[in-house]
Amino acid sequence: MADLGVPNLADRLAAATPETIAKPIRGLSDRALAWLFIAPSIVLLLAINIFPLIWTIYLSFTNYRANRPNAPIKGVGIDNYVSILTDADVWQPMQATAHFVLWTILIETVLGFGLAFLIDRKFRGHGLWTTIILIPMMLSPAVVGNFWKFIYQPQTGLFNYLIGMLTGQSASSFEMIGSVRLAPWSIIIVDVWMWTPYVVLICLAGLRSIPDYIYEAAEVDRASKWRQFWTITLPMALPFIMLAVLFRGIENFKMFDMVNLLTSGGPGSTTEVASITLKREAFESWRTGYSSAFAIILFVTVFGLANIYVKALNQVKSR
Amino acid sequence: MADVELTHLTKRFGTTTAVDDLSLAIADGEFIVLLGPTGAGKTTLLRLVAGLERAEAGAIAIGGRDMTREPPVVRDVAFVFQQYSLYPHLSVYDNLAFPLRSPVRGMSEAAIRQRVEETAHLVRIHDKLANRATRLSGGQMQRVAIGRALVRRPAIYLMDEPLSSLDAKLRSDLRLELKRIQAELGATILYVTHDQTEAMTLASRIGVMDHGRLVQIGSPREIYRDPVNSYVATRLGTPSINLLPADLLPADQLAVGTRTVGARSEHILISRVSGGLARGRVVRKEHLGGHVNLHVLIGGAEVVKRVDADTDFLVDDPVDVALHVPLCFDHHGDRLDAGGADANT
Repeated sequence: MADLGVPNLADRLAAATPETIAKPIRGLSDRALAWLFIAPSIVLLLAINIFPLIWTIYLSFTNYRANRPNAPIKGVGIDNYVSILTDADVWQPMQATAHFVLWTILIETVLGFGLAFLIDRKFRGHGLWTTIILIPMMLSPAVVGNFWKFIYQPQTGLFNYLIGMLTGQSASSFEMIGSVRLAPWSIIIVDVWMWTPYVVLICLAGLRSIPDYIYEAAEVDRASKWRQFWTITLPMALPFIMLAVLFRGIENFKMFDMVNLLTSGGPGSTTEVASITLKREAFESWRTGYSSAFAIILFVTVFGLANIYVKALNQVKSR
Repeated sequence: MADVELTHLTKRFGTTTAVDDLSLAIADGEFIVLLGPTGAGKTTLLRLVAGLERAEAGAIAIGGRDMTREPPVVRDVAFVFQQYSLYPHLSVYDNLAFPLRSPVRGMSEAAIRQRVEETAHLVRIHDKLANRATRLSGGQMQRVAIGRALVRRPAIYLMDEPLSSLDAKLRSDLRLELKRIQAELGATILYVTHDQTEAMTLASRIGVMDHGRLVQIGSPREIYRDPVNSYVATRLGTPSINLLPADLLPADQLAVGTRTVGARSEHILISRVSGGLARGRVVRKEHLGGHVNLHVLIGGAEVVKRVDADTDFLVDDPVDVALHVPLCFDHHGDRLDAGGADANT
């Protein structure tokens, strides 16, 4: 039709519509307006994220100490980095962090997906159960840290009492926070208690995104419930599960408040995760330059790992 | 393939009755098309046969076995859903192979590959086997959905408006294709549509549904020429049948007690009259390419007749209209002269 020289309706409409629909406001172009609108966020982002980052990078190459503001600042090159990366003691917090991150992710994902899978069914009062399950997540980490300290009390705490009751041994025969063997698990348990609901929530979104008719089609195609789970439920919810893992991983890599309140890194340095070390170096030893370098190393590690992970995630999503 | 028997099937959703005491026997190799408007209970009936819904009353037997309470897995039916229902995370190949990989079957991968490729050729999707199911056009997705059913040799194929979301060209192509495939495989198909062309061209028997009831079932020709009531009569035929008061127009044969006459295009005779004697007038000409729909206003009613494209009737022409053996309906809309129309034309 178009080659007969008679443009169709869509073509004519397109020709009649001006490029910018809105009139320029007081001489501002669309582009200028767009910048105007996002400027506040950009300024804020620069002030509280980007500037401190750059400042930290600068400090990491100096011997600056925040408790001696008047001392001359001397550039030390990469000395801080060299001393951190060659220090055998640095591996301890790194290992503690890895132990904490890996176990919490594993337990929270399995538990979270399992719970989400159960709640996803329609049963009596499933709304109530969902709300109850989500409560821990809504509490402040400071509150959680403090009351779990009470729960872990060997003599009067609920945790020891329950374990004692279940296993038959004396409740005060073991200490969660005080023992070298159990302390890492004490923080893992609390994190699982607090953040599994979050994984439940994301997994639930994933499960709800699978339309019913897919299951009906599978049912008619004679797939058993077991096969439906492995070929439909899991692969289709996988991007969501991976997203939950990513969020929990990044969060727990930086975990500070709850651990600081619960064990402060102890006993000894068994639960001293990287962020606790960082705080000690920065605000107890006041080695600002050194701790800046440590922070940058942590940042690069998390950033690198997260990037590799996001690539994998995108691959799963586009599969 | 097997025959399927539905007896006194009833399904309610709350207070609405979706399928109402419906009985239907489908013979092996038959192509049954259920025709009816949205909400007539066609889809619910298919879902009942598939086992995706439980009937409140009645029985379903597939291949002689009572399947009323059995889950879909046991029934061995294939379903083409209206919304494609492909497995979005799988490739076209894996979508087609999915039903064959059921452990119930225990087919080897080589046998599966052969069957999938055959089917892909059948529905003309073989060049897209490696694509992800969601990276296809609507027509391609629907062909995959049909293929996923055809890849199996179930007791019965259930198809829920499989062509309704396709464009006209593809729809008529696939319609022919489906008929050919059915003849080739000798498949038993229960097919749901609201499109009368699909019903007329595909069906060995058409079942007309209304409010969960099967109003009439018969060959397309029977349904068209000998409808049991005015509802069925309006389901088939383009232009749609004209329902007129019995005394409006002269007709050569009317049954006693006729309240409404159903005049299909071929029952209408239009004649040109001169001057003030004409009772009717041409009010509109619809050009439809190969033919013209002539709208005539007569006695307050509008009558539509299909005529040749080169008709010399013009808008505003004075005309008169007579009827030749129209269908006669009583005051309930039920047929009075059933079987008569066949004998006279």
